[in-house]
Amino acid sequence: MAGGLAYFLPAAQLALDATGQVIRVPTPSPTDLFTSPVPQSPSPSPTTGAFTVLLLGSDDDSKFESDHVLTQSMILVRIVPSTKEVTMLSIPRDLYVHLSPGGFGKIDGAYSYGGPGAAIATVSQDFGVHIDDYIWVGLLGLIKVIDAIGGIDVVTSHPVMDDYYPADVYGGWPYDFERVAVLGGPQHLDGIHAMQYVRSRHGDLQSDFGRSQRQQQVLMAIRQKAHQLSPEDLPKLSSAIGGELKTSIPLSRVAALLPLAAGFDNPDQIRQIVLLPPYTHGDGPDGSIQPDWARILPLVHKYFP
Amino acid sequence: MIARGVLGVALAAVMLICGTMTFLYLGTRTSKATVPPAKPTAATPRAQAQSLPGTLYLAQSGAIYSLSAGRFHQLTPEAGWTMPSLSPDGNSIIAVKQARMSSDVYVLNRFGGVVRQVTNNAAPARLAYDPGFNHWSFYPRLSADGATLWMAYDKPKYGYDVILSIWAMPFGGTIAQGKLWTSAADYTGGDVQPVPVSGGVIYTKYDYGPDLQLVGRLWFTNRAFSAGRALTSPDEDCRNPSVSPDGTQIAMICTYEKQVSYLVLAAWNGSTLGARRAIITNQMVAQPTWAPDGSGIAYLAPGVAAGPFQLWWLPRAAYAPPPTPAPTPTPGGPHNGPLPTPSPTAPVVVKPVQVTTNNGFDATSPLAWRG
Repeated sequence: MAGGLAYFLPAAQLALDATGQVIRVPTPSPTDLFTSPVPQSPSPSPTTGAFTVLLLGSDDDSKFESDHVLTQSMILVRIVPSTKEVTMLSIPRDLYVHLSPGGFGKIDGAYSYGGPGAAIATVSQDFGVHIDDYIWVGLLGLIKVIDAIGGIDVVTSHPVMDDYYPADVYGGWPYDFERVAVLGGPQHLDGIHAMQYVRSRHGDLQSDFGRSQRQQQVLMAIRQKAHQLSPEDLPKLSSAIGGELKTSIPLSRVAALLPLAAGFDNPDQIRQIVLLPPYTHGDGPDGSIQPDWARILPLVHKYFP
Repeated sequence: MIARGVLGVALAAVMLICGTMTFLYLGTRTSKATVPPAKPTAATPRAQAQSLPGTLYLAQSGAIYSLSAGRFHQLTPEAGWTMPSLSPDGNSIIAVKQARMSSDVYVLNRFGGVVRQVTNNAAPARLAYDPGFNHWSFYPRLSADGATLWMAYDKPKYGYDVILSIWAMPFGGTIAQGKLWTSAADYTGGDVQPVPVSGGVIYTKYDYGPDLQLVGRLWFTNRAFSAGRALTSPDEDCRNPSVSPDGTQIAMICTYEKQVSYLVLAAWNGSTLGARRAIITNQMVAQPTWAPDGSGIAYLAPGVAAGPFQLWWLPRAAYAPPPTPAPTPTPGGPHNGPLPTPSPTAPVVVKPVQVTTNNGFDATSPLAWRG
């Protein structure tokens, strides 16, 4: 028993540290007027047992102060256990919205102003979605997780070529650039190449939208690989993730969700949505993307009731 | 009192041993999915590897390996080597060496020794401040007469729009003598994996389909910088072309815009592709390669779901079953009585053979095969 406890100690430590994070919603500045076109207080999901999680992914290298990072990936995930349906909605990082801490700006800044609470409140108020929990993963976290699970199999849609990819992961100077070439077709990706595939946006006509599709693709590949893992892999995984994962989901709920996750094995029941034009269009302030709420909100309310 | 002390120490020792054993035992129970691939020379390929004809060249972790008579040999160090192809006489290997900022084509001898560097794509020192002055060369292939080197090369490029195009250059010359053959679509990754054929070149063109999704299409062109023509449709989403030794069939990988990849065969008449036949539909297949003697097709695919890519072998009988034998004449003259009812014979199902089990071959690197 002592050996077993010692073996799983890192996993238990991570579980205690990373889960059950308290969400603090920042108080908006009284000088800022709230002009969001949707109700502020969406009610919890009417479907029994269904829940919505906001996935957040950030650069967290030395360019940023601790916990004041931009969320370059924001994916709303709604899970309906009774029907085993999953819906993933990628929110463009440059979407110009009302931020919950006050004022307007790109939605990726919400987290940097007020942490996960601000990111949740911003998405919740602007999209009219009730969010139950969040999961935040740092840049290095994704790389290490994919390496710890032994890599993932992906059919990369096209060669992802980038002459100015940020060399901020293992380089000494976080503002440096490097060239990447992730070639197209079926392949086994390690963490660093999977990160390059989901993070590069210079070589894609659809820029952040193309990147969002690739992010959803890699999430699906991680989910598929997770089916191959055993409980004995948890310590290795937890030591890889250490400090790069935070979630508001309490430990007890994580334990309840794990068996559930194994049942979601039908790709046809996983819906992937990216807010391409006409849902959004360019020309926003500071290179941002303008939302067309009249189109977005009916779509969101259909899949995130 | 002493006896209780001894008992306590003994119990503590037993606990320590049991605890350590449990700890170590659990460590051995981790799933195989997370175990790093073994080097081909360290792993033992299955016995079926011995039945593969000739010598097969593959890449793993930046090294090129040969497989002949069931044994792997490491030809280069793990230093970015990939995409081996062969000279027409089979005596030289043309391969890519990829560095952090650029990649170059090299000529190697059959044992992996560098004969010469063909391209020089690293930015000169005075321009090293800008990564954009570097270039990539990928997928080198020699023409049948050995005079022309075909490859994917990232020139021209425009700022953030880095696209590969198909180039042809004299094998004994320099890239300055090279000729741009294709007009790659902007912001797509471009045109890759040229396969010189009689009268032109087949390659994979990445472009946006009608649904604005990026897809691969097999393309054929017979003149430098002409528009050429598509051989496959956008919704088939095909890549990795490989021409059969007799030049009448093409094997390719098609994904139908999903996270699957089917091994598809089609007849090739030098101009168009015939009806498609999906031969393998339950694996994530990559880089099909015909055996030089026509005895089958080798390809890469995971050994287990979501695992690293292994070498597989599809015998010819799996996709070209032998023709039904013609009825033999009855000895002694024509048969006068009622003809016997032929009993239906169950079709023989030939399955792909997994040749390796614990390697991790580079699935973006085409295989080369010397007969």
